[in-house]
Order: sequence, then C-alpha cells, then structure tokens
Amino acid sequence: MSKYEITIGIECHVQLSTKTKLFSEVDNDARGKEPNSCVSPVDYALPGMLPRLNGEAIKFAIRAGKAMNCEINKHSRFDRKHYFYPDSPKGYQITQFYHPIIGAGYIELPDGTKVRIEHAHLEGDAGKLSHFGNYSLVDLNRVDTPLIEIVSMPDIHSAKQAHDYCKELWRAMVYAEVTNGDLYNGNMRFDVNISLAKEGAKELGTRAEIKNLNSFRSVEHAVEYEYERQAKILDKGEKVVQETRGWSDATGKTTPQRSKEEAQDYRYMPEPDLPPINLSQEFIDKEAAKLPTTPKAYREKFSGTIASDTLEILLDYKPLMEKLEEITNLFSGDIRDNGSELSKEPRNDGSDAAAREKTIGKISNWFASVLLAEEKSAEYLNDLPSAKQLANLAEMTEKKELSSTGAKEVFLRLFDPQMKIKEAKEIAKELNLLQENNLDALEKIVDEILADPATKKAQEDFKAGQEKVIGFLVGQVMKASKGKANPSVAQEILRQKLKN
Amino acid sequence: MDTTDKQIEHLAKLSDFSLSEKDSKSLGKDLESIINYISQLDELDTKDVEPTYQVFEMENVWRDDEIIPQEASREDLLALTKEQEDNQIKIPKVL
Amino acid sequence: MKIANKTVTATQLVKDALEKAKHFEEYNIFTFLNEEGALRKAAEIDAKIAKGEKVGKLAGVPYAFKDNFLSPEGPTTASSKILSPLVSPITATAIKKLEAEGAIMIGRTNMDSFAHGSSTENSYFGPTLNSADKTRVAGGSSGGSAVAVALDIVEFATGTDTGGSIRQPASFNGIYGLKPTYGTISRYGVVAMASSTDCIGFFTKTPDDMDLLMSITAGQDANDLTTLPDYYETSEIKEVKKVGIIKEFDNDSVSSELKSALNKKVDQLKKQGYEIVELSMPALKYALAVYYIIVPAEIASNLSRYDGIRYGYRSDNITDLESIYTSSRNEGFMDENKRRIMIGNFVLSSGFYDAYYLKAQKARTLIIKEYEEAFKKCDVILTPVAPNQAFKLGEKINDPVSMYLEDVMSVPINLAGLPGLTIPAGTGENGLPTGLQLIGPRRSDKTLINFAKELA
Repeated sequence: MSKYEITIGIECHVQLSTKTKLFSEVDNDARGKEPNSCVSPVDYALPGMLPRLNGEAIKFAIRAGKAMNCEINKHSRFDRKHYFYPDSPKGYQITQFYHPIIGAGYIELPDGTKVRIEHAHLEGDAGKLSHFGNYSLVDLNRVDTPLIEIVSMPDIHSAKQAHDYCKELWRAMVYAEVTNGDLYNGNMRFDVNISLAKEGAKELGTRAEIKNLNSFRSVEHAVEYEYERQAKILDKGEKVVQETRGWSDATGKTTPQRSKEEAQDYRYMPEPDLPPINLSQEFIDKEAAKLPTTPKAYREKFSGTIASDTLEILLDYKPLMEKLEEITNLFSGDIRDNGSELSKEPRNDGSDAAAREKTIGKISNWFASVLLAEEKSAEYLNDLPSAKQLANLAEMTEKKELSSTGAKEVFLRLFDPQMKIKEAKEIAKELNLLQENNLDALEKIVDEILADPATKKAQEDFKAGQEKVIGFLVGQVMKASKGKANPSVAQEILRQKLKN
Repeated sequence: MDTTDKQIEHLAKLSDFSLSEKDSKSLGKDLESIINYISQLDELDTKDVEPTYQVFEMENVWRDDEIIPQEASREDLLALTKEQEDNQIKIPKVL
Repeated sequence: MKIANKTVTATQLVKDALEKAKHFEEYNIFTFLNEEGALRKAAEIDAKIAKGEKVGKLAGVPYAFKDNFLSPEGPTTASSKILSPLVSPITATAIKKLEAEGAIMIGRTNMDSFAHGSSTENSYFGPTLNSADKTRVAGGSSGGSAVAVALDIVEFATGTDTGGSIRQPASFNGIYGLKPTYGTISRYGVVAMASSTDCIGFFTKTPDDMDLLMSITAGQDANDLTTLPDYYETSEIKEVKKVGIIKEFDNDSVSSELKSALNKKVDQLKKQGYEIVELSMPALKYALAVYYIIVPAEIASNLSRYDGIRYGYRSDNITDLESIYTSSRNEGFMDENKRRIMIGNFVLSSGFYDAYYLKAQKARTLIIKEYEEAFKKCDVILTPVAPNQAFKLGEKINDPVSMYLEDVMSVPINLAGLPGLTIPAGTGENGLPTGLQLIGPRRSDKTLINFAKELA
C-alpha cells in the first residue's frame, strides 16, 4: 500500500443485552425463539402506540461510553429517522441524531494507535426479512432491540488497523458487559467507509461505504479488496463513485448497493413522544463506577508478565483474564492461612512477586496452548477451575513434582466434571504423575543400577567420555522407579557417583 | 414560492403516494397556496430564540428493565395482517 | 347526568340512547352502533344494582367515543379507508377508565379522516350534519361526538383536540367542550395525529359533567411517557378576578355574530364585577402558520406506519413491494390527509427544515412566552373559538387555506399546551349557536371548569 494513502472510518452497531427492548417490555433475546414471538403492539406499530423507554439502556450507554473513554452528554434526546421499508413498522427509526448520549472519546489499539470516537448514540434495531420464490416474510422480533451506533473518526489507515479497531471495540463492549458480543448472531455489525488519496494529498478521496460486515476478518478483507478496486480506478485517472457497497465472504468482493444519487432524505425530526434526557453528574458517575476492568487495563497489568502475543490471544476471553486477575490476588494481601501450598512457607514481597510472575506465566501458557486448543474450550470457559487449583498446579510443576507433560494432563483434568472438585495434587496422585524427588530413595535406586553388572559396560563407556550413554543409565533408573523418578535429579546423582 | 411539478413528484415520493396526473395537478395547486401561507413566517424575527419541541415539563421519564405480558398476543397482532405464513407477515418479494 | 339506579335501569338508558341514535340517522353521526355490546353491559350493571353491589360513578351512562379511540368494540377507522378494517386488540387508557366506572359506549362517532379538518367533511363516511342546521357543517374534526351530545343522544362523548377539534365543534353546536392541559389524559390507544399537540377531551352539556369526567380520566399512564402525575384532583381552584381579551382577535375576519357574542359576555362579566384586561399578543398572528408547519410534520411522521403491510387496507393493485406502499396509501388516504403528509414532508425535507420546521419551533417559543406574559396580567383569557359560526356544507371544502383559517383562534393554545374550554354563548339572530373559549395557564383546567359554572 504505497502510492495511495488509505483512510478508513468505521460505524459500528452494538446490540445491547438488556432484558427487554428499547421501547417495550418484551424479551430482548430472540435467539432460538419463534418468529414474531418477541413483539409488542408498540413494536408492531399499531395506531396509538407510544414508545416506553427502557431506563437500563441509558445506563448501558453510559458504561459503553466510559469503556471508550467518551464524554457522557448530560443532555440528550431522541429523533425520528424516516424511511419506508418492511423491516421498519413505524415508518421511522427512533435514534439520536441531534443530541446523542455519548460524546467524543477514543479506542486505543494494541499497537498504541488511538482511534478517536466522534460520538455514539442510542437507537432501535430493525426487523428481519427472509426471501423466498416470489415473496418475502417479515419477522419483527429484532425491532427496537437497543443498539448503540459508534461512529469513529477517519483515523484508521490500514486493513490491519481496521481489523484491530473492530476487535478492540468488540473487547471493550464485551468487557463492559453491555452486549453478548455474539458476532455470528449479529450482535455487532460494522459499516466501513474507505477512501484513497495520493500520498501527502491534503484532501481525502471519494469514499465508498461497505455495509453490514459482521466479522473482523471480513472487515480486513473488504478493506484490502476496496484498496485494490479504488487504486485501479484512480490509476486509470477515473473517479471513485460515492456509494454504498455490500461485501460477500463467498466471492471476496464488494458490489454496489445504493449510489449517492438515490440517497434518501431521512427527514429527521425530534421524537415528540419521548421526554428529553437530562442526567445529573451523580447519576453518570454512579453508572460509570460499575464499569468492570477494561481490556486496556488488563493489557497494561499483564504486559510485563505474559508474552504479548499470548496476551493478545487471551484478551479475547474475558473469563481467562478475570481468572488470571484472581490468581494474582492470591499472592498480594494476607492469604497466609488459606491452607494453600503457596502460603506455607513465609515469603517476603520480592519473592512473592517472583512466584506470582512464574505462576501467571505458566497458567497463561496453559490457557493459550492447552485449553484453547481443546475442542470443548468454549464450554470450559463457562466453568473454569478455581484460582487456588490452578496456582497449586503451577507450584507443583515449579517444584518439579510434575513433569511438564504431567502438568498439562492434570490441567485438563481440572476441567473434567468428575475430577474438578479435587485439588491438583490429589488428581496428580490418582494419575500416578507425581515425580520421585526424594534423594535418599533415588540414591538407593541409582546404587542398585550401578551395582547391576548389566550396566558395567555403560559405566566404563561413560567414564571413557561417551556422554550420551548417561541417557541409557537414566532410562534404567526411570524403569526401576516405574517412571516416578525426576529424570534430571536422577541424572545429577548418576553423574556424582560416576565421577568418583 | 411556486411549487414545480418536480417538487410535487419529489414530495409524493417522500410520502409514498402514486399520484395520478390529475391528482398531482390539483394537490400541487393546494400545496402551493398552503406553502405560500406558511411562508409568512419569514417576516418573524426568531434570532437567538430556542426552539420548543414539546410543551411538557418532565424529563428522564423511563421504565424498569422487566419483561411484562403485553395487551395483545402474537396471534392477535398477526390476525390483523392480510397474509401470513409461518407466523410471519407475507409480502411481495423484496428485491 | 342520569346515572342508572334501582328505578332508572342502565338497560333503559341505553335503549333510549340507541333509539335516538337511529332517529337521527340522517345526521350521519355514528360510524358504528354498539347495540349488542351496549345492551349486554347494561344488563350486567342492572344485575349488580339489583344485587346491591357497588357500581361506578358512571354506572349505565350511555356515551359515544370518537372513532380514533382503539377498542375491540367495533372497528377503529379514524373515518379513513386505510384503517378499515381494524378491529383493535387494544383498548385506549381513557376508555378503560370510563368503562371501569360503568359508562357504556353506544357508538363510535364520525370525524374528519385522521382528525384532519374543521368540518367533518373529510370523512370516508361522508359529513356529519350540524345539530342546529342540517345544511351546515358539524365542525370538526370531532363533529360526530359534538352532534351526538348536542342532540342529546348521549350524556357525553370523547374527542381529540389537536388544533381545536373539540372546542370548535362544541361552539358550532352550542355545548361544552374541553381541551385539557397537554399531558393530562393518556394518549395511549388513540390514533395519533400530532404527538406534541394531541389532547384527549370531552363534550358535555354541563361543567359539572366535565368536572366528573376529568377526575375519572386525568392522570399519569405508564403507556404514555408524556402524561403528568394526576394534578386535577389535587389542584386547588383559583378565584378568577381578571379576564383577558385579546386585541389582535378583534379584526375584520371575525363575524359580527361572534363579536356580539363576545361583547355580551364581556358586559355580563363586568356586571358581575370581573375586571376586563385588554391584552396585546402580536405573535399570535403567526400561530396558524406555525401550526400548519409543526402539525403536518408530525402527521407525516405519525402516518408513515399506515403502509398496508401489518394491518388495515392493502390495495389489490399490488405488483411489487413498492406498490403495497404507494397504492395502499394512495387509495387509503383522502386528499386532506395527502396534503398534510406532503406539507409535512416538505417542511422536514433537506433544504427546508431550518426555514420552516425549525423556524416554526422557535416561533412556538415566542407564542408560549406571550401567554406567560398574558397570565401575569389576568387569570383567564376569553376569546371566540373560531371567527365564524357553522358554515355551509361544501362552502370551504375545496379551498384548504380558507378552511385552515377557521382554526386561527383555536390553534395557539395547542402550540402552548394550555387548557381551553368552550362554553355556549347563546344563539345569534341567525339561530346558530355561538361559542367562546376560556383559556388558562397549564394545569388550570379545574379553575376553568369552575369559572364556567359561575358563568352558566
């Protein structure tokens, strides 16, 4: 991407996970429910029906805004956006055009880039149409599901950044607990505005808007495709048409939908059926205080302890970050008598910190490389082992009571409904995975092996300088110990004895 | 101001009416005189005046986030539509 | 009003009402007669009375409601084609409250389609005739309700007043008509015209009946977020000393009958010792223009939902999706509906919003301020409701602007959300009723009704 500079702005629709819809008291979660089974007379737009605002949506919006470092506007109100389509029963969408509740803010990408948020507003979603031979069917279940539409500034300049922005936004909303964040079910949808301009040009180029992308990958690919498409046009000295385009994952292409000429006149009008919103600072602060730890805060907290690529993987899983947080808390503060191995020997803070880092390091690796590799990882995430179980397991491996493979096995058993009630140590015992670290016992075994004439030759070869034979001898010790010996310790003792 | 046929056509489109030649003519004439009448507002000075959208003193009127039974069921509502199938409203194909 | 008891049964009251309704059929008052339903309810109430059980404040009282109120009893059409047929599963809050007190609806009354009009001539079912002169209009848009009360068919009737639709037909038929303070009675279940000015109100034969109906129906409703917590019962009555009259309303457009009606009333007030205050309210000159910008905008928006898809009329000339909308709306709406929808879309459309819609909302602020100033100088304002008495059928129907001009004195208080009460002011030499309106500050409804009692 050299000769043209690409400029990208993204509008994102987030479905809020309130219990009820934005303007009536029906179930807001229609997943797996029958068509039109979550529809009130208000959603159906019978005559004489008036919107009944869901106060929780206001509170969700405050949390969402804070999660994006946004100003919350004390004064906001609703407006009507008019258009005729079967998915819009009222003939207008209730949105916030003139006075949105969420003001300016920003989202920080992993690479440190700040993408400014222009504003974000509350609005109602539209219904769903499905198409058949010569007719279509209308399902209004999704009508007036609360949405916040988040409008970014054109601060994004690559497909990768576009991808990262969408993902970071998704994380921010999921961590703020304002949405289920289920992209497959359309909980978050992205409209991407893309324009190209000669490098260093003052003016932005004409933009095309790619509507309704519902995965980070399709955002990235759509941007890449649009770059190529628009670059070709500009190379030929032609003009890019300002238009709305659709993206197909199947073909990997964008295709025109509606061009500016036919652009609609939405005739925005202040909503006369809803009184205005005037929030006190106290109200805003009270809600803002409920915002859980943000992905950004987790990233800052663990960046020293967890390798950044691992950390970026784990950040997609809020429960894992929460668990790591819990585990770190085992170390700080007074936890001396919780019966944990961790607390038996007194530590000064320094070594406590060191132990914490080691533990977090191990567990984060198990999360990333073992747990997430599991087929069932999705359901495992809903019911993680206790912080104590995991910390103990980490400590056992640290103390070499378990081999790394043994540790992984025990780790997985901690998710097994039958086993998970037990402590790591019990499980390790039952599976015979505990390693023999008792020096006297080991020494006895080693002596027996060395006394065994069958090893005579090997001993001589080793003394003669054939290093690799030690492996054979260690193998004998392991066999004799039925695999419970800690191989590295066994080797040490062998070397000692063979020296003299 | 005089309203052109083009404007009437545009307004009919915004209003989603399929007006006959005759109707556009007569409605056009009416609209022109109405717009002429309301245009007298031009002469009123509203500089630095705040608009009033609602004559209602209350603000922050909202409800709790609790599911409650509605006055009409899905069946009551769908019974009102001309054509339905599979508990959905049936319409000509949307292109 | 007559309430059912052991001697006068609800059944008898309802039968009488139904009989009169049929007797006056030629006036085209009703879009639906509720014979079966009304008699059934009457029987239930009589049974209660016989058993000595408690019955409501309106037990067995026959009433009628304007056909823009939703209820499962008969089709709700708003006198339009596009809403027929619509048998609503919903019941309007006001209707629930009235019937909880035992009132019995004997019929739905005719109106200008979607309440767009001042004569009830814009009805899909044809015009309603004036109670005093069958060659003249009933007034509108709540014409059917006004005539039903004026001809003594029912004790009271509901109406809606967006720009005078209760007060003007009340004055054209010589009865009381109240447009309450905006937000007093829930709009839930009433076909919306213009959300920021629509008010539910009543036609009665006495101020006392009005008082009773207000105490029953006023109050906050979780289904309408623009309703006030009930102030009516608790509001104390302000003693009226100063009555304001508006200088700007004394002009050539006002007929001699109305002028003399006003002057007579002013003389009476002076005799009774009230102080008359002359007010100058120059901004009112623009109220009608402001009204015919803001209200059509809200109409265009509120009537977008009538598309032939989910309920109501769907055209048979459907070729594709687009034609469901364009044909159903084109065939289902009347010319006046179309005019207002198109004007609304004009003032909201890009390029015109600031010059018309926004400008009008600013002018509205000036009008509100003028009333605030006025009520520093007086307790209530007295004006004609309309410049003329009931006009001839067909006289204005083909000239929209001249029809709109009939609203010039009634629309200002809708823009300001103030209460207005039409009181009968006798009949002119031409034998036609005249009416005047009492206007007060927000939430002064009880004071207006009480003052009307003093003047009666």
